[in-house]
Amino acid sequence: MTAPRSGAPRTLAELSLPSEPGNERRASEEVARAVSELGLPQRTLERLKTAVAEATKNAMEHGNRYDPEVPVKIQVWLLEERLLVRIIDRGGSPPPSPNAQTPDLEAKLEGMQTQRGWGLFLIKNMVDELRVSGNPDHHTVELIIHLKGEDDAG
Amino acid sequence: MPANHLEVSVRLKPGGVVLDLHGEINGFAQEALNAAYADAEAKDPETILLNFEEVDYIDSTGIFLITRLLAKARASKRRLLAYGLSDHYVEIFNITRLSDFVSVFPDEESALSEASVS
Repeated sequence: MTAPRSGAPRTLAELSLPSEPGNERRASEEVARAVSELGLPQRTLERLKTAVAEATKNAMEHGNRYDPEVPVKIQVWLLEERLLVRIIDRGGSPPPSPNAQTPDLEAKLEGMQTQRGWGLFLIKNMVDELRVSGNPDHHTVELIIHLKGEDDAG
Repeated sequence: MPANHLEVSVRLKPGGVVLDLHGEINGFAQEALNAAYADAEAKDPETILLNFEEVDYIDSTGIFLITRLLAKARASKRRLLAYGLSDHYVEIFNITRLSDFVSVFPDEESALSEASVS
């Protein structure tokens, strides 16, 4: 059963995870647990978990340079008809650009493009909206899922 | 959650060599995946099959590692097939276009059937 979604914005979870390899899966599982009351379709949930894991990995690797003393902060918000997951790092290197070059597998196989570069591409394809912002102190990635009509999807 | 590092076993079947993948395909998987692929290549098959039935997680680094296997297979004119992917990872194979180059099958029987047609 799907929980009611009306009312003021509501925090579903606030997490703080050490920047250590592998913690991206912990992040995705904890976010999945936080949104379990929403009854998301399985496909939406799997897509959200992949997006959260990839964004958390980017934050740990590029933002916090895998310094376990520097946590990645994750906030999960339920808005009127949207689910918002905000992932915040210390901002060790420039924030990823949502307009980065789209990976082209054929070009990668021909050596015309680096074989890496899948993370941001996956995130963009797993959520309805991706927002990236930052200042010298931190970067924030916002993953947004539109909930309207989710009950019929999947 | 505890890490489930990749383990790979290699099986010779009529039609090709099967890599049975167990665990997560991420940055920790590189060594196991490359070693198993080298074992498979040493048998000089026309087709190498990736069995994902026991894989519960693939991340962007995993996609990178699979892309490298595909590049190796193409360089040595071998076919790479995949089976046992969950619906979510079939979608990711489609989004990344891996499925344009690695034919995806639901199970071993159908993959081996394709492998024996050459």
